Amino acid sequence: MAQNFTDKSRRNDRLAEILIRIGGLFVIVSVVWILVMISRVALPLFYPPSAKIAATVKVAAAISSGKVLAIGSEENQQGAFLLDESGTFHFFKLADGSLSASIKAPAVPTGATRLAAVEYLGKSACNLLWDNGAISSVAVALTSAKAKDGTITLTHDVSVKEDIAFAATSGVVQSFARPIEGKGAVRIDRLSGDRLRVSHQLVEKDLLGTEKRTDTSADLTDPLPGRLSAVTVDAKGHYLYAGTDTGWLLRWDISEAGTIKLLESTPASDNHKAITSLTLVLGDVSLAVGDAGGALTTWFPIKVAGSGEDRRLTRIHTLRANTGATAFIIASPRDKTLYSGDSDTIHVDHMTSERNLLTIKPPAAVTHTALSPKGNSLAALDSSGTLTVWKMAIPHPEISFGTLFGKVWYEGYDKPEYSWQSSAANDDFEPKMSLVPLVFGTIKATLCAMLFAVPLALLAALYTSQFMSPKLKGRIKPVVEIMAAIPSVVIGFLAGLWLAPLIDKSILSVFMSIVIVPLMLLVTIFLWKRIKTASPLQKVTRGHEFIAMIPVVILGIYLAFLLSGVAETTLFAGDFKQWLFSTLGIRYDQRNSIIIAIALGFAVIPIIFTIAEDALSNVPRNLTAASLALGASRWQTAWRVVLPSALPGVFSAVMIGFGRAIGETMIVLMATGNTPILSWSLFNGLRSLSANIAVEIPEAPLNSSLYRVLFLSAVLLFIFTFIINTGAEALRQRFRKKYGRY
Amino acid sequence: MKVFWKTGEPYVLATGAALAVILVMSLTLIGTVMTNGLGYFWPRALVQFELKDGSRVLGQITQQEKNPLSGERRLQLKVGNRDIFGQDFRWIDEKEITARSLPADAVLLERREHGNYFGMLKDVTAEGITLTAATPYEKLQQARKLVAGKIDATAKIKKQMSDLNYAAESIRLKLQKLEYDGKEQNATAIAELTAVREKKMAEFTTLNEQATATLAEIGKITARMTDAAGGSKEISLTEIIALQRPNSMSFLTKCGAYLERVRELLLDDPRESNTEGGLFPAIFGTVMMVLLMSVFSLPFGVIAAIYLREYARDGLLTRMVRIAVNNLAGVPSIVYGVFGLGFFVYGIGGSIDSLFFPERLPTPTFGTGGILWSSLTLALLTVPVVIVATEESLASIPKGIREGSLALGATKFQTLTKILLPMATPGIMTGLILSMARAAGEVAPLMIVGVVKLAPTLPFDANFPFFHMDRKFMHLGFHIYDVGFQSPNVEAAKPMVYVTTMLLLAIVVIASSTAIYLRNRMRSKYTTSTF
Repeated sequence: MAQNFTDKSRRNDRLAEILIRIGGLFVIVSVVWILVMISRVALPLFYPPSAKIAATVKVAAAISSGKVLAIGSEENQQGAFLLDESGTFHFFKLADGSLSASIKAPAVPTGATRLAAVEYLGKSACNLLWDNGAISSVAVALTSAKAKDGTITLTHDVSVKEDIAFAATSGVVQSFARPIEGKGAVRIDRLSGDRLRVSHQLVEKDLLGTEKRTDTSADLTDPLPGRLSAVTVDAKGHYLYAGTDTGWLLRWDISEAGTIKLLESTPASDNHKAITSLTLVLGDVSLAVGDAGGALTTWFPIKVAGSGEDRRLTRIHTLRANTGATAFIIASPRDKTLYSGDSDTIHVDHMTSERNLLTIKPPAAVTHTALSPKGNSLAALDSSGTLTVWKMAIPHPEISFGTLFGKVWYEGYDKPEYSWQSSAANDDFEPKMSLVPLVFGTIKATLCAMLFAVPLALLAALYTSQFMSPKLKGRIKPVVEIMAAIPSVVIGFLAGLWLAPLIDKSILSVFMSIVIVPLMLLVTIFLWKRIKTASPLQKVTRGHEFIAMIPVVILGIYLAFLLSGVAETTLFAGDFKQWLFSTLGIRYDQRNSIIIAIALGFAVIPIIFTIAEDALSNVPRNLTAASLALGASRWQTAWRVVLPSALPGVFSAVMIGFGRAIGETMIVLMATGNTPILSWSLFNGLRSLSANIAVEIPEAPLNSSLYRVLFLSAVLLFIFTFIINTGAEALRQRFRKKYGRY
Repeated sequence: MKVFWKTGEPYVLATGAALAVILVMSLTLIGTVMTNGLGYFWPRALVQFELKDGSRVLGQITQQEKNPLSGERRLQLKVGNRDIFGQDFRWIDEKEITARSLPADAVLLERREHGNYFGMLKDVTAEGITLTAATPYEKLQQARKLVAGKIDATAKIKKQMSDLNYAAESIRLKLQKLEYDGKEQNATAIAELTAVREKKMAEFTTLNEQATATLAEIGKITARMTDAAGGSKEISLTEIIALQRPNSMSFLTKCGAYLERVRELLLDDPRESNTEGGLFPAIFGTVMMVLLMSVFSLPFGVIAAIYLREYARDGLLTRMVRIAVNNLAGVPSIVYGVFGLGFFVYGIGGSIDSLFFPERLPTPTFGTGGILWSSLTLALLTVPVVIVATEESLASIPKGIREGSLALGATKFQTLTKILLPMATPGIMTGLILSMARAAGEVAPLMIVGVVKLAPTLPFDANFPFFHMDRKFMHLGFHIYDVGFQSPNVEAAKPMVYVTTMLLLAIVVIASSTAIYLRNRMRSKYTTSTF
């Protein structure tokens, strides 16, 4: 029995030891785990994109022998189609290359015999230009579905789109047709002999529902600086762009029926290489230009000095050049990615990030290329009659180190900028995800707060540890510790809704306080000297001086408040904020960096105070005793003996306070306007990394670029605070070792 | 004088002033919250002003200040009647005022919608009940008393309805599961359950009709009110929550009204998108979350502290554990929130959903923020607090006690459980309370992993399995942020925010004071002073 009990005890003891050790190590595991888990979400931002050949199909000679005008594929890389000269869509199963169906385009215009050209409009719509110059428009639907047993079924359909239909006209080389929302359609023809014609077909409905059709057409009359080599039109039919063989870019306004207004002509390059292809990037703001030298650039109109209100096309992004002449440019229907190619390679580039995402080498020279409607499969038909389909995996094309930390020239901006604007109402918006304004905001908030908190906290800690009577110290320390427990949401709320309006009413009093409170202190010091020598109070006041200081501080702040009113009326014509704006041009936000300095400072004071006070108190008493015995005053002892000894501990207190200020979320969220701007002005708000996460993450779709970028900023915060905390802890351990033996 | 400066006495005063600034700031904070929070529930007089332009205004004075434009003194009045005037507040320059009075029969109506109504009660139209009282005010009170039973009955019906609704919903989920498992095999079960569900739904409809009918009946009793501007309005009895005549209330009745409001605050549900009514769900949610958090953080924290203090030898590993503890304490709370979202909510929660509730997808069950994930996230965040406090208390136990126990033949584990842990209990309690205070005040991570502005159901109720870990919850701290910064009518919501702030501050301050008191008592018990 006794033996059993001892054995059992021993067994329990060993078991407990193992469990407790595991529990202790679990702390390390959880810290590492946090970092690993958040990094794992952020990391895919930097995964390289890939393109895998999903299928290669040798197209039957019967189809490829005729002239192929267009190709296409669908999202799952299971089906593809070819459009031949007769206007027939041939649908293939990509798995085995078998022909699934051939569908003749419906509603062939009268008199048309064969197709002359095809224009892909996006969203599965194609404009068909027939040999007699007539235009019809069709929508091609091709989808695949996978059954449970693995068989793949294709569904295909070709339907008429009624909004575009133009009758025959002669001499057309290339043609563009655009529907005008609810009002008809416009067609732009490039005619033989370098002529351009714009024809509007407007339909107006009156109240009774009867339609009235007006046809207007206008021919281009402006002289051209060379022969036309490429033409494109935006999706709304408002602007017409053309490039010439002498390297000029031209832009016309064609939004009004019956007029073609030349807006500008600009040389696209210094060496006047012929422009070979033009395409509008998603969103119709940027124009991608490819020339005979293989260069690929994007342009959009901005305000240029000397041009007044007019905007002029300017080269914004230069993407990776092709080796041969740029034969084609395709814009992705989903984002600002461009596919461009010369005779033997296809480059995939992202416009905003200027990243060369992929270089694809097709087996032979490519004659036709096409993207699927969602942009995730690329099909190419080469000269040997082989159709190749790639599965594109480009997870986050718009993110690169350049876009996260560098200046980027966004669409509609006049110059490259650091900007954070993650979402907008429309899909073709260019997300702006520069972390620079956020890092800047974090640093600004932290610095402001530390500037306010560090002197106050350290001086107060010095007083509490060295001069205060021990009995009072036992009461004051818990008070400060309770201060540390005040939830940041409370501080933030008061800062945002109580302090900010208060300071807004009398901003000057803040500056006045900085001057007047020390002045009051100086006055008190002189009075103190008088009182002290003359009174027996000396013994009582020693260790309680700060109590006398409380009314001094309150009085000082009150005086500052009164005086600021006087100063505002006499010096600043009654309104300091107005003066600030009109004279210095500084905008004043109600929730500004001063508020943040006070609120965030208030939050970190107790942390710095407690740790610094501990460090100062832990300096061995025999050091101070020796100093005092040698005749040094209590201040001299504190300043020359205690403070230098405790310096590592004090420094670690400041660092820990710094770490807290960096990561504080609620105060910054509530007491600043959350405007991501780069301005050192004390009168402006800011947005910090942490507040940004809190603001944006509820709206970030799972695994989107925004979601991952927010995780990345959490990683940054983690690493930053990790370095600071580890440094502080190392300092503290050193300090402990130094004095541990006492 | 020179000596005075040399010995550094002025600098001592300067350091004292720094401490004074800190204390003044803290007192200002507490004072602001207290004055704004405590005053809100006091029934304030309804003052009637006659203005120079002949119009009359009735309201409660909320602020006085100098007009920044004209320099004249002006008053801010809460005029109420948001549905009529459009705004709750109005500024009046003092020089515009020709007369002010305190009409004794001015009535304050707390309404279910559109905030308070200030005005005079003219008459009560009673249909179906006979009122014997003389004055309209008494009539209204009598009418309210008469229909109180009916209102209780409707409340009971509402309760039954929500139970039925819950039952129907759980049947729906069961059906969903059966259908997912195989529509053909479970055809009979599906049919049975569908029948039960339809029956419940039918019951629900009848009850709903009953409740609506009763309410319509009560709704026919209306109070005809006139406001200061002269407009009149019929307000149905169902709209009225409470009524008082603050101008003719004695001090004691005012105290009674005050206590009644405090009761409402602590025990009732919020109204008017959280800007009025009570805080009960938020208090309940906070407490539930904090308790659940302690269940996770306490054992982990205590074990880690025991490891550090009793089992670890001084070495690289121990140093690393210490660094890890410090980092757990120092990593920004929002990072925990992000981690909780990525790991708990989408990681573990998503896996649970696809394993156990695949039939409900894409509607997430555990794969969205909830009280369980919030507690786990906060547990990680507060573990260092428990570790530090426990370690400190273990360290303060004299070595002799350990050695004595081991010398008597006890194993290390026995020493730990029988001697050390009981002695360290106050320290562990300190850690626990401090961690609870920290968790109660933390908002940033919760915003990401499960707090909502309005939760339709509490995370704990009478329906099986009682604890609903997947539910979202309300939280006092988030309530402050949400009502103060995201409500459409911030000015009107401010008093409520101050009250919430006061409550949260009181909870946190009381909890931390207790913890610090416990700790200090324990410190003085074991440590012997040196030098």
